[in-house]
Amino acid sequence: MTVDRESFIKSKFREFYESSSSMVEAPPSIEMREFGFLLFKDRVMVRHKGFRDVESLRSFLRQIVPLHAYYSAAYYAAPEEPMERKGWVGADLYFDIDADHIPTPCQKVHDVWVCRGCGFKGRGTPPERCPLCSQRRFEEKTWPCEVCLEAAKRETMKLVDILLKDFGFSQDEIKVSFSGHRGYHVHIEKDEIKDLDSAARKEIVDYITGTGLDAKFHGLEAAGEGSRVLVGPHLGDSGWRGRIARGVYDLLLKADGEHLEELGLRRNVVKTIVENREVIIRSWESGGPWGLIRGVGLESWKAIIRKGVEAQAAKIDTVVTTDIHRLIRLENTLHGKTGLLKVGFPTDKIEDFDPFKDAVAFKRGEVTVFIEEAPEFRIWEETYGPFKGEKAELPVAAALLLLCKGMAEVAQ
Amino acid sequence: MNLVLTKSDWAKYPFVPEATEYIKTLGLKVDSLSRPEFEPILDRAEGRVKEALLTNPPKVSYLEHNEEVELSSFPVAVVIAAATADDFIKKRYALAEARRAYDLLRREDKWKVLEVAKAFGWRVNVVTDEASAPRGYQLKLHFVDFLRNVKAFHESNWKLINRVMLGGEVYLTTYEAARLLQEEIRRHIEAKLRIDVRPILPPNVAQMVEELRLIRRRRFGKVYTEEIRFPKEAVVEAFPPCIRNLYEAAASGSHLSHAGRFALTSFLLNAGMPPSKIVDLFRSSSDFNERMTRYQVEHIAGLRGSRTRYTPYACDTLRTHGLCPGEENLCRGLRHPLTYYRRKLRMKAASKRSRPADQV
Ligand code: SF4
Ligand SMILES: [Zn+2]
Ligand SMILES: [Zn+2]
Repeated sequence: MTVDRESFIKSKFREFYESSSSMVEAPPSIEMREFGFLLFKDRVMVRHKGFRDVESLRSFLRQIVPLHAYYSAAYYAAPEEPMERKGWVGADLYFDIDADHIPTPCQKVHDVWVCRGCGFKGRGTPPERCPLCSQRRFEEKTWPCEVCLEAAKRETMKLVDILLKDFGFSQDEIKVSFSGHRGYHVHIEKDEIKDLDSAARKEIVDYITGTGLDAKFHGLEAAGEGSRVLVGPHLGDSGWRGRIARGVYDLLLKADGEHLEELGLRRNVVKTIVENREVIIRSWESGGPWGLIRGVGLESWKAIIRKGVEAQAAKIDTVVTTDIHRLIRLENTLHGKTGLLKVGFPTDKIEDFDPFKDAVAFKRGEVTVFIEEAPEFRIWEETYGPFKGEKAELPVAAALLLLCKGMAEVAQ
Repeated sequence: MNLVLTKSDWAKYPFVPEATEYIKTLGLKVDSLSRPEFEPILDRAEGRVKEALLTNPPKVSYLEHNEEVELSSFPVAVVIAAATADDFIKKRYALAEARRAYDLLRREDKWKVLEVAKAFGWRVNVVTDEASAPRGYQLKLHFVDFLRNVKAFHESNWKLINRVMLGGEVYLTTYEAARLLQEEIRRHIEAKLRIDVRPILPPNVAQMVEELRLIRRRRFGKVYTEEIRFPKEAVVEAFPPCIRNLYEAAASGSHLSHAGRFALTSFLLNAGMPPSKIVDLFRSSSDFNERMTRYQVEHIAGLRGSRTRYTPYACDTLRTHGLCPGEENLCRGLRHPLTYYRRKLRMKAASKRSRPADQV
C-alpha cells in the first residue's frame, strides 16, 4: 500500500514538473547559488548543485522530480564546492514565519504527536517528556490549518509593516511568498543588505521580535528631574515608540483582571485598572496613561509593556534569518508535505492571498482514496471532511494533500 | 549646506581621501626619509606609533600648531607600524589613531562630523527641524552603516531595537556618530596595515622599527598569551541553566535545533571537553550520524575547514534563539555563559575550602 502512495505522489509531481517547470524562475545570480533537492528515493538530499542558467535548472527538475527543491539565500564564488571552499560572497535577507512558532488554540485539535519510545499519542505540541515512558523523542504531525495560516499571515503583515516603515524598504523590494505548508516567507534581495554578517542580521531579528527592548530608550521616563510622575510614548509615534503605545493600549483595553495579575501586578493595581478603563482609554487623547494610575510605577509599566511588545512584534523563526548559509524553498515548486506550491505574490495583496486557492497546483482530475483520519479542510471553495476510516473520491489536489500528509492511501 | 574639509581638518583627520590626495602631491618617498629635511616628519611618525604603545588606553595626541607635519607624518607612521609586522602593534596603533580622531570629532559640530562620515561613504544626513522629526538628534544614518560599526558595543542603548529608526535611518546625536566613526576609522587603518610587505627601509627607519618591537616586547610580552584555564573535566553541575538544558536534552536523545547544537558544542569545547566525548553525547539521538556529528564538532573546534575555533554564543544570542530559559540569580549582569561557569566553579571551590572537617 505504502509503495502505491509513494509512486502515486511521485507520478503527480512528475506530471507537474513536465508541464509546469517553465514557471520556475531563476533567482538573481543563479550561477552563484547552491541548490539542494530532496529525492523520493530513500529521502536522500542532493546538495551543492549549481546551475548556469534557468533552463538547466528546469530540465534537472523534470529529470529528477524532487520531493522538495531548495536554493541558497547565499551567493557563493563556487557553489558546487563543499561548504568550507564555497567562498561566501553575500546572502539575501530572509525571514520565515511558520505556524509552528505561533501558538493557536486549534493546534490542540489538529496536531498530533507520537512518542518514538512507546508509541503513546497525544494532541497539540508534545510535552517535554512522554507521560508514559518519559522519553523525549516524538514524531510530530502538523496540519496546514486555515486558522493557523491566518495567524501566520497576521505575523507576516506585522513583519512587512516593520520592513516598510522602520527599515525603509519599498513595496517592490519586499518579496512575500507562501511556503507551501504552514507559513510565509519574506525576503529582500537588495545589494546593500547582502554582506550583512550573522551578528548584524541578529540585530535585525531582535528589532523585529522586540528582543532586548528597554522602554527607557523609547520615551518612558520621569516627567522631570526627580519627579515621580511618568511620561511615555504616544499612539501616533513612529517605530517602536508607537508600537509600545499601541500594544499597551490594546492590552489595557481588553485584558481582564486575571490576565493583568499574571503580569505580576498587585491586586489593588489591577482593580484600579479594571475600574478606570474608561478614563485610561480617554487619557490617550493627551499624554497617555503613564502618569495616571496610582500604584503603577516604572516596574509595573515595564511588565505591561513587555506583554504589549510581544503582541506587536512579528514572530519569525530567528534561526533562518541569522543563518547565512540557509537553503530556501524554490518558488513555484511543490512542497512534498502538501503537494501545494510555494508561490509569491505582491506585498499589497497579502490580505487577499488564499493559500488553498492560489497555491493549488493540480486543477484537474479525481482520485479515490482511503482516509484513515483527517480534519476538515478546504480546496478552492469546496470543503472536505472531517474523515475517519472511510473512502472518498476527491479532486487530485485534495487527495494529494492527504496522501502527502500520510493520512490516506490510494484506494485500489 | 556643503562644507568642504579644510587643510587643518586634514591634519586632524589625515585618513580622509582628500588628505591622502594632498599628501601624494608632496612626493614623499620611503627612501627619501633619511634626508634631513624630512626629519620632523619622521620624528612625529615614530612618535605616533610610540604613543600608541605607551599610553593606556592607547591614544595618539594631536599637535595643533604644526598642521603640515601632523598631516604628512600619518602615512609615514602607517608604513612604520606595518613594517613591524606585528599584529599587536598594528591593532593598537589603529585603535590609538581612531581614538585620537574620536577625541577631535566629538568637539566638532554636526556639519564637520557629517563630512568626515561621508568621506567613508556613509549614507548619512543632517536631521532637519521638521515637526515630525524625533527630537534631540542631529544626524541620521542608514541602518546598514550603523550595524557595520556597532558590533563592538554591548551596551543596550546601542542595540538597534533601542534606537529610533525611521525609513531605514537610525537617529544619532553628533556625539554618537563620532563614536561610531571611531570604529570605522579603526577598521580603515587596520585594513591599511594589513599589507604584509616589508618595505626596504633606510637604516634609520629600520632601526626605529626595531625599537618599537622592543618596546612592545618589554611592555606586553606576556599579557596576551595568557589563557583562561578551566578544570580538565567539564563540571556539569556548574553549567548555566541554558547549557544544562541543552546538555540534558542531548543526553536523553531529544532533537536539538541547529542553534542549540552549536551553542552546546562550542560551550563544551571551551569548557575543555574533548571532541570525541561530545560526539558520544549526541549518540542517543534518533538521527545520530557518527560521521556528520564528528565533522560538525571538529569543525566548531577549529580542527577542520576554516580552522578557526568558534567562540560560544553570548547570552544575547542565546536569548535571540530562545535558548535562555530565563535568568538565574547567578546570571544577573552576565553577558556570557562561560562567565557563569567560571563564577560557579569559583564558588564551588570556595565552599569546599570552607567546609568544616567533620562534614563529608
Ligand atoms: S542568562 Fe545567559 S547564562 Fe544565564 S541562562 Fe540565560 S543565556 Fe544562559
Ligand atoms: Zn513513551
Ligand atoms: Zn490550526
